[in-house]
Amino acid sequence: MAGSALRRLMAEYKQLTLNPPEGIIAGPINEENFFEWEALITGPEGTCFEGGVFPAKLIFPPDYPLSPPKMQFTCEMFHPNIYADGRVCISILHAPGDDPMGYESSAERWSPVQSVEKILLSVVSMLAEPNDESGANVDAAKMWRENREEFNRIAERIVRRTLGIPT
Amino acid sequence: MRSLGISVLSLTLTTIVIANAYYQKKQFYPSVVYITKSNPSMAVIYIQAFICVLIVGKIMRKIFFGQLRSAEFEHLMERSWYAITETCLAFTVFRDDFNPKFVALFTLLLFLKSFHWLAEDRVDYMERSPVISLLFHIRVLSLLLLLGSLDLHFIQHAYQSTVSKGASVQLVFGFEYAILLTVVINIAIKYALHSVDLNSETPWDNKAVFLLYTELIMGFIKVILYVAFVAIMVRIYTLPLFAFRPMYYTIRNFKKAFSDVILSRRAIYNMNTLYPDATPEELQAADNVCIICREEMTTASKKLPCNHIFHTSCLRSWFQRQQTCPTCRLNILRTPTSNNNEPRQDQRHRQVPPPNPFFNPFGGQNPFQMFGQNNQPQPQAQPAAAGAPSGAQNATNAPQANPNIPPFVFPPFPFMPFMAPPPMPPPNLQSLSPEELRRMEGNERQNVEARIQCLRNIQVMLDAAVVMMQQYSAAAALSSQAPGGEPQPGPSTSGTPPTCNGTTPKSPINLPTSSVINNNVESDSVPSTSTSSETPEATPTESVALTPEEEVRRRRLQKFQQAAEQ
Ligand SMILES: [Zn+2]
Ligand SMILES: [Zn+2]
Repeated sequence: MAGSALRRLMAEYKQLTLNPPEGIIAGPINEENFFEWEALITGPEGTCFEGGVFPAKLIFPPDYPLSPPKMQFTCEMFHPNIYADGRVCISILHAPGDDPMGYESSAERWSPVQSVEKILLSVVSMLAEPNDESGANVDAAKMWRENREEFNRIAERIVRRTLGIPT
Repeated sequence: MRSLGISVLSLTLTTIVIANAYYQKKQFYPSVVYITKSNPSMAVIYIQAFICVLIVGKIMRKIFFGQLRSAEFEHLMERSWYAITETCLAFTVFRDDFNPKFVALFTLLLFLKSFHWLAEDRVDYMERSPVISLLFHIRVLSLLLLLGSLDLHFIQHAYQSTVSKGASVQLVFGFEYAILLTVVINIAIKYALHSVDLNSETPWDNKAVFLLYTELIMGFIKVILYVAFVAIMVRIYTLPLFAFRPMYYTIRNFKKAFSDVILSRRAIYNMNTLYPDATPEELQAADNVCIICREEMTTASKKLPCNHIFHTSCLRSWFQRQQTCPTCRLNILRTPTSNNNEPRQDQRHRQVPPPNPFFNPFGGQNPFQMFGQNNQPQPQAQPAAAGAPSGAQNATNAPQANPNIPPFVFPPFPFMPFMAPPPMPPPNLQSLSPEELRRMEGNERQNVEARIQCLRNIQVMLDAAVVMMQQYSAAAALSSQAPGGEPQPGPSTSGTPPTCNGTTPKSPINLPTSSVINNNVESDSVPSTSTSSETPEATPTESVALTPEEEVRRRRLQKFQQAAEQ
């Protein structure tokens, strides 16, 4: 019998394939290794990321779901909660106790109750409503706060790039 | 492609060097002497040897691992860099016996090490893939056998050399291969456990425990080896700097394994003594799926004090990491045993409301909100007081917030609900008798509940503050009154509660606790601002000198107002 982490990931994959949430596609890159997933996230409507299709990579730890996976966008992103290298910084991806920002309550932290689907939905809402307290990308946070037009312009450029439209 | 080019180039160079030597000397032995005497020729030969090692490595990798996954390759590269650095450090200790043979031995060691690392990664991979082929088993088994026998051989060689010729660099090799042997044994045990698990029909619950103890025992052996090695090296040579990094990691891993074992034992003990097995009826009543593994619960399930049910084995591994309920985050270690039998239905509704950043601007930088906040949520505040009898006496600090105090209107003490008219307010926390404090500690659960309720009230108040703020700005716009004038609470807030009036804050004792709630609820406010501006004399105007933190808050407030107006 396969390990419990693998069985749970297979169950989640099945669930996501049968009932995909709107605007989200996710699954293992290679079905021989269920611990590396890729996901495609559609930019939420009515936001500056609308229309974009953003590829991301999810790496699961061997003790999933006891520890959270890591998520990294593989396309260029400009967002207050996404590091320059694409790593996503939201509280659901952190176990309680490991606190990069120092203020997140444990209620929204990782626990086995969470799932890939919940992570991806959180990321969608993060795209819609950045938390400019987070220091993942200080420039983006500052611009989001102070120069929204410029931020929207950059976001639009990124959206175009993910769609392969020349900017 | 590039590596092929380099190999061809090196092969050509070697051929040229050998051909040149043979052409000049015509005979085998003189040619060899010629090459060894000539530095450039030797350099070419060394490079060729190095490339041969790489080629052999590649071939062996193909045989034993097939295609490397990218993660494995990155891992290998990273570890190789550390190993090479450490080898260079080791050279400095043994610079006296530095010779080609010595370099060759170190290269061989590195070479074998990298195969140990790859084998380790590969066996860990067993847990990740649903398809483990027969080839995989053959490869892993033969590799482990080969590596194990090589390690043994080199240990023996090093031992004999040290016994017959005294201490030399062989000491390092003997020790390194001994460490590698423990690695091989560790991998072999893991492989066996994974294989048994793969071939069993049902999930093997105790595998995690076996893995844990394997980790602990192997970690212990490694720590002993390292300590012995460093001790010997210090006696004979000098401090072996090159062994420090791996030693540090080994000790850290051992410490982690040790605490894991302790946590696991504690979790198992708690589960067996404190929590009852879930009855079939309970399983029926719940939706029967374990939230940790997302599989049905048919056997061996435990019910936590909060009524959440999980597989025993799933809970055990989770408790090793955190002693909370995975669903509601109830701290199970702090829950007294007596709570066991009480129904805990309410607990599942007790999640802390997530701190929404948009509420934070109302961390209270001006008195106007204060009026609104303290007025409107009173109805909600009362139940909180009831929920925390022990906290209620301390509630004084909360409502004492003076309208004159710009930054801080939150109850500075987490246990305190927003009790609008506080019953017999003690002047401050200092008046708490040790008995009272102790009672609070004993009532941990109730205090937590009171705290949660308190946070809820804060949220309600913040909502109220939003309304207030809108009303205020509307009023200000209408009457073209200077915003810096006397506070004009909105129309709905005519009755200023007594709690807001003129009571001076008893600040010093409040500050530490206030920072607690500050961190929990208000992500941005900085406790120190309350100290700096907590002067009763300050006029309730917005023109008070602003600290940078207040600036930020003000800006966010404005942002929010704009959003609200739209
Ligand atoms: Zn389970
Ligand atoms: Zn629970």
